[in-house]
Amino acid sequence: MEKKKKPYLSIVILAIILLSSMFAGLLTPYAPGEMDDAAFALAPCKAHIFGTDTMGRDLYTLVLYGGRASLIIGMLSALIATFIASVYGTLSGIAPKKIDHLLMRITDVLISVPGIIMVIFLQAICGKATYLSLSLIIGATGWMSMSKVVRSEVRRIRNSDFILSAKLMGGGFWYILLRHLFPTFFPSIMFMAVSSIGSAMITESTLSFMGLGLPLTEVSWGSLLSMSQNALLSNQWWLIVIPGLVLVVTLVFLTELGEYLRGNNTRLHSNI
Amino acid sequence: MLLFFLSLIVFVMARLCPGDPLRAWYGASVDRMNEAGKEAARTSLGLNEPIWIQYMEWIKNLLHGDLGISFKYKRPVLEVIESAWLNTLTFGLLSYVVTFVLSFALGKFCASREGSRVDRMICRAGVISGNVPTFFLSLLFILFFAVKLKILPTGGAYSYGMKYNVVNRLWHMVLPVSVMVIGHLWYYAYMIRNLLVEETRKDYVLLLKAQGIPRKLILGKYCVKNILPPMLIIMALAVPHLVGGTYVVEMVFGYPGLGSLSFESALYKDYNMLMALTMITGVVIITANYFAQVMGEKMDHRMKEDEFVEEEEEDGEKEKTISVYRNPGYHTPK
Repeated sequence: MEKKKKPYLSIVILAIILLSSMFAGLLTPYAPGEMDDAAFALAPCKAHIFGTDTMGRDLYTLVLYGGRASLIIGMLSALIATFIASVYGTLSGIAPKKIDHLLMRITDVLISVPGIIMVIFLQAICGKATYLSLSLIIGATGWMSMSKVVRSEVRRIRNSDFILSAKLMGGGFWYILLRHLFPTFFPSIMFMAVSSIGSAMITESTLSFMGLGLPLTEVSWGSLLSMSQNALLSNQWWLIVIPGLVLVVTLVFLTELGEYLRGNNTRLHSNI
Repeated sequence: MLLFFLSLIVFVMARLCPGDPLRAWYGASVDRMNEAGKEAARTSLGLNEPIWIQYMEWIKNLLHGDLGISFKYKRPVLEVIESAWLNTLTFGLLSYVVTFVLSFALGKFCASREGSRVDRMICRAGVISGNVPTFFLSLLFILFFAVKLKILPTGGAYSYGMKYNVVNRLWHMVLPVSVMVIGHLWYYAYMIRNLLVEETRKDYVLLLKAQGIPRKLILGKYCVKNILPPMLIIMALAVPHLVGGTYVVEMVFGYPGLGSLSFESALYKDYNMLMALTMITGVVIITANYFAQVMGEKMDHRMKEDEFVEEEEEDGEKEKTISVYRNPGYHTPK
């Protein structure tokens, strides 16, 4: 009945976070690796508004630069997951029934393995973690439920006349997928794609936190949090709270955006 | 069948890992061994055979109830797991039950006050709580309750020398369980709320209202009964979600359970251990799924018919409703 409000607040805040990590160099007074012996594990103060870590690095600078890794990995793996889901779902959707069943059973098996364990496996296979390998791994473990939606959407429209006509005019698999199928099913997975950015960021930070993510020289929000194990004992709360809070804020507004994209479902009036 | 697939995938993936299981077996003394020594050690551990022979060997032993020897602990895998599985079971079960009892209550509460200020506020708070990564929440809790206030232990399953003290064990579980519950509560409460809200839009509710049945009873008795089958599906699908969560939480709190074990074995390339753990997890999850299917059919015969409809061409819509209950995107712990 009434339309959902446009999520201006989330867009603005996400844009701020995105831009500030893109232009981190202009906004920070320190270089990311700069260590200041005098400013060792300082609580937030005027010179270091977020405080400094145990190596005397400015936390504000680290958070801004760390955003790059987290955001890039988040978006890249969401992109990869969407790609795999689209192709796999379409293949399964247009395949004959038996193959379709087989493909869907495979996704069932994959879904039943807790994602985090799969990610650790694959990470071990790849060896050293880079931006690309991490995004590939996280993307490769997160496409299953999306592909199920794609499949059912494709099954719904695969016998439509416009698909048939495209086929008759000699359109190949990729052409039909990109030109005809993708625009039709994208709205129904857009919400999942956006929320998968958030989950990818969670996975990345969990991995980095456990020491399986990016090497320590690469700063990300997760690896910032992994320093917090030591901070726990020495009660340096800002090392834990601030990077985590930035991460949480980003995730919350991403969810808010995804919620908007979920579409206006036709709301009937409650009978109770 | 599914289990067989799972075991094959995990087996191949685990063997492809570049890390050296010899390190787990011999520790640092690996570095002092020469090539020939390493070769001999590999052969004696059966690591030189082609991968499919190793797999057949493993399956054969499995059927004899033998899961092999843990490379790291140098004890049979079952023995190592034995000391850990009860911890995880109590922890997981406790968080599972608490999560669902609370999320059911919360969902019902919100549904009965749909659209009101309280409902909106809870929704807002829920979105935030659902977005906090589990490990971060654990850290915050440790920081606040254990380090600052010093009222709860930072981790572990029991204090030194109190292995059999139930109260002490429960005391150690307070923080991990509350992390699990807070992290997963809203996700499910929101689903239950939405199911109930949708239910109240149906015609029979209007009829019941016209009959003069009080609001509370309509919602609490009739609507709840109708959402039970989809709820069962949700609860079954929640198992892998929550299992993943327990593993991470166990790791952060250093709780001696299957989760900590599996991380350890992944780090040390402890193949046999890893396989056993993954299989156990798989068995639990697949059983849960199967159970939900059977229960759902018992409770609502339409679900069985759905299966048949699904075989027909127009299964699009039906599948879509199910997939809403599946986790959007990843099933990583939140």
